[in-house]
Amino acid sequence: MNLQKITRLVFIAILLLTNNSYAQDLSKPGNPINDQNVNQAVTTMLPAESDFMMVGLVTFGWINQKQTFGGVSTKQNSIGDADRYEFSPMFLWRHGDKLLAEFEPSWNGYQLGVNWADVAYFVKPGLIIKGGYLVLPFGTYTKRLAAGWINKLTSDPMGVDMAGSDFGIEVEGGLPLGNMKWSYDVSLTNGYQLNNDGTIGNLGIGLNPGITNNDGKTFCGRLALLPLSNSSLELGFSYLYGSMAKPAGASFTNINATDTKGPSVSMMAADLNFVHNVNPVQINIKAQYSATMVSDEKYFDSTALAQYTFTNTTSTLFGQLSLRPSKSNNKILKNLELAMRYVDYTAPKNSGFGQSYNEMDVCLDYWLSWRTVLKLGYENIKSDGYSFGASTGSATTNNLIIQFSTEF
Amino acid sequence: MKMPSVKDIIALTLICTVIAGAGSVTGCKESKKIADKSGAQLWSENCQRCHNTPAPKTFNDEHWKTVGMHMQTRALLTDNERDKIVDFLQSFNHL
Repeated sequence: MNLQKITRLVFIAILLLTNNSYAQDLSKPGNPINDQNVNQAVTTMLPAESDFMMVGLVTFGWINQKQTFGGVSTKQNSIGDADRYEFSPMFLWRHGDKLLAEFEPSWNGYQLGVNWADVAYFVKPGLIIKGGYLVLPFGTYTKRLAAGWINKLTSDPMGVDMAGSDFGIEVEGGLPLGNMKWSYDVSLTNGYQLNNDGTIGNLGIGLNPGITNNDGKTFCGRLALLPLSNSSLELGFSYLYGSMAKPAGASFTNINATDTKGPSVSMMAADLNFVHNVNPVQINIKAQYSATMVSDEKYFDSTALAQYTFTNTTSTLFGQLSLRPSKSNNKILKNLELAMRYVDYTAPKNSGFGQSYNEMDVCLDYWLSWRTVLKLGYENIKSDGYSFGASTGSATTNNLIIQFSTEF
Repeated sequence: MKMPSVKDIIALTLICTVIAGAGSVTGCKESKKIADKSGAQLWSENCQRCHNTPAPKTFNDEHWKTVGMHMQTRALLTDNERDKIVDFLQSFNHL
């Protein structure tokens, strides 16, 4: 049975599951169509009220940046804070208590994109099936923490945008386990493309039109355990594996000349979330480590006109701590939150995009409401660039940021 | 190391789905301590895992139900947790 048949069967099964409750054959003998029968049929339909709503978020601010590279400093002020601007309305449509459609377009100052566009079917307790353009269940940051009014710092950690969103199906659920709780989340999606320089491109909406990766699917899954009865601690482990598409006229080949197998990628992540109240302070710790490993390939350097290879592994780590005296009796103090974060990102030095990057952030948040925040942040970034093993220089960047974010 | 094929990936997905589905079908049980938790307690414990606890009168009853389903797909709440939290938040619309 090929993949197309499997996909067709899954969709037919979902359609049957969602519609069999309404099957009322009024035309069969002994059941003529009249007002009484129609009224009876209508009143026996299961509740299926619809609800449509729009929520969303907007984030904007001001940044003062000083960057030093090669002994030369440059300064920049931006009211738009284009690297951190976002306007993302989210449309939710609920049909009864089984179906939910979600769509979130997003304008980031450069282009209009889509964060997710999917439909979820709530099959039974602990079992949700989703289809469409999904946020992959890899780590927790992209799916849960990226929104500006949720993020306690003024930017996203470098590198956490992998694994991103993709077309596919997803099965997920949360289940009790005695005093504990666990959750699973697995997806099967189209996957990525390996670019000619060894970087990974997503085949999402608007990218690489005309190139399909339907012959090679990508598996992604996350398992999480909440071992404490008050759900304050969550530990998660994620894994992704998939073959990748090649761009048209790909200039790289398998490192083994006799092997015609295409490129592949595997990724893994571990995440931690801990929220605990020690009167009057709420302690909030979040951390995530992830690594991306691409199969060994032989690339072509179009400048040197020579082939080269490298261990294509990229890793990113962030850890953050925030403290908020939310139970304080002082009206101003209880709305203040101090957040600190460390980020470490490493891209392969022997590639054309090598980088060793670390960042230290401090931010003071003032919560105007439960979903509206004003942030005053400072970021210190040190980055060493590499190209084919040689240093391309070091840069130091200091950002002072004032940012406003709200959910509407 | 031999790389998995597409069939292997689909098989892995199905195995994970079956394991997870089996867990939900056989019914992972919650303890009495967990089952006795109120909507207010679950609201204060679970929402703050990612963001501030939402103010109850933010949405009407129907919207709370929709938001509850959306949040369940994000935070992977159990159905019991979702229902109790939504009931708790809706109750403020009827005071």
